[in-house]
Amino acid sequence: MPATSALRPPVDRDVPLVGRQPLEGPYVLLTFRHPEVARRARAGQFVMIKAATVTEAILRRPFSIMSVDPREDTFTLFLKAVGPGSRALATLRPGEAAGCLGPLGRPFTAPPEGHEALCVAGGYGIAPFVLFADELRRARRRARVFYGGRTRAELQLRAPFATLDPPLVCATDDGSFGHHGVVTGAVAAYLDTRPGPVTLYACGPDAMLHAVARLAEERRLPAQVSLDPWMGCGLGTCLGCVVRIRRENETRAKYRCACTEGPVFDAREVVWA
Amino acid sequence: MKLGVQIGALRLKNPLLAASGTFGYGVEYEGILDLSLLGGIVSKGLYLEPRDGCAVPRIVETPSGLLNAIGLQGIGIRAFVKDVLPRLALYDTAVIVNVCGDTVEEYAEVARIADAPGVAGLEVNISCPNVKKGGMAFGGDPRMTHEVVSAVRKATRLPVISKLSPNVADVTVFARVCEEAGADALSCINTLLGLAIDVDRRVPRLAFGTGGLSGPAIRPIAVRMAWQAARAVRIPVIGVGGITGAEDALEFLVAGCRAVQVGTANFVDPGIYARILEGLESYLRRHRLESIGDVVGSLRFPEGEAPVEPPA
Repeated sequence: MPATSALRPPVDRDVPLVGRQPLEGPYVLLTFRHPEVARRARAGQFVMIKAATVTEAILRRPFSIMSVDPREDTFTLFLKAVGPGSRALATLRPGEAAGCLGPLGRPFTAPPEGHEALCVAGGYGIAPFVLFADELRRARRRARVFYGGRTRAELQLRAPFATLDPPLVCATDDGSFGHHGVVTGAVAAYLDTRPGPVTLYACGPDAMLHAVARLAEERRLPAQVSLDPWMGCGLGTCLGCVVRIRRENETRAKYRCACTEGPVFDAREVVWA
Repeated sequence: MKLGVQIGALRLKNPLLAASGTFGYGVEYEGILDLSLLGGIVSKGLYLEPRDGCAVPRIVETPSGLLNAIGLQGIGIRAFVKDVLPRLALYDTAVIVNVCGDTVEEYAEVARIADAPGVAGLEVNISCPNVKKGGMAFGGDPRMTHEVVSAVRKATRLPVISKLSPNVADVTVFARVCEEAGADALSCINTLLGLAIDVDRRVPRLAFGTGGLSGPAIRPIAVRMAWQAARAVRIPVIGVGGITGAEDALEFLVAGCRAVQVGTANFVDPGIYARILEGLESYLRRHRLESIGDVVGSLRFPEGEAPVEPPA
């Protein structure tokens, strides 16, 4: 049976850019008007989006939904311009359109009662944690966000966490900002202080996700990881974004679409490459 | 019905089909677009058993194109008949099963099981470039092509469409072989064999190595091959390759195709069917034509003769 999400179908529409805020380097915040995404999106979900101005790159690109404003019918993406698709989006001007499908995918699941959510982000993997921190705050759950990158220049999305309590924990490989070292080191150091029950959440490069999964296994902690394989359609039809997943009751791993069955998976079910 | 077309015994309410491998089993698009807009849906390729497909990476973007090696991951024909067909029965659209096999016998067996209520036709996949057995290995060999198509023909009373590979020197040879073997129609073309390389690591960008190229990058090749095939046989030809709008679909129709399939665009633009239908209707009005059939094969060469005769 093709995997069909229990969630409501996404909505496909052309969306106008309504706000654009450049950050340092290749980073930019883009706000689009899309009522269904604005009202329905949950943290960890994403959109497939493509600027109407680009033709050479034909596919839409997946981006985590960073935040929503249901009163304005808008959502915001945190984007790093790296290739033709993301560059075309990054250079859109207000009023220009993008084709957009969303909200897509399975969101993060709230931690069990009494658990502190430890959110571990690498690079632009920080985006979904803006929305997640907001959801957790409204649900009166404790959240602690760890944000890692190679250098200070990669930690561009700190402002939305300015009022976070406890404060955002940063780490850089080169020591230019926050803890010197990988972000999972900062997480491990926190776990060494023997906090109460915690659930780990991670979004970022594969190596970081794998490190979080190992940490969760060593310390016997529940963990949810948001995977980011190359994605073609977001609908489970191109079968390009498959990842090896072995569910608890299965004897062998199966290829499953990250777009429809993820992107968030239980870390124990992921068969790491 | 101005947009209705006849493909052998298969009546389509309009000439737009979703191409195999780009539309899942159809049900993935429920709630996103109205499946009853489509003339038909060609399923993802189906074998007797479920298949895992290729390792990742499976897709890579190239200029105006998509190179893929999925390797026919799928649920198998029995699960399709049992679980998917009842859901597709809710829609007014022709369901066509894309039939695969590692052996001639498997093609025939899949065809027999696919001959179920709710299935309007079969498309024989002798052109997938991303499997080690079957697929293009059969579609690149006239004798095997004949054997597979004949076997499917004998296994079913449903209309049989043979999907041709462009990875051959002369597509008209294969078009004629399929016609002789009893095919009711041809789909032209499957993806073009390609290779994309990561030059830093000096390895192919796809795990399988080579892949099949689709998207607007291949459209002129697809139109040319569909045109050649349509001139070579009496059975209808369905054009496939890089369609992104009404004008692209019309190119294939003018070239001689009775219907078209939309492929890669399904990944990007689920609203494409409504837009193409609107475009076709407005084209008929603008050119004061009664029906879409009046467009089929209307290509003219102002100098009288085709500038490049298809190879004999």
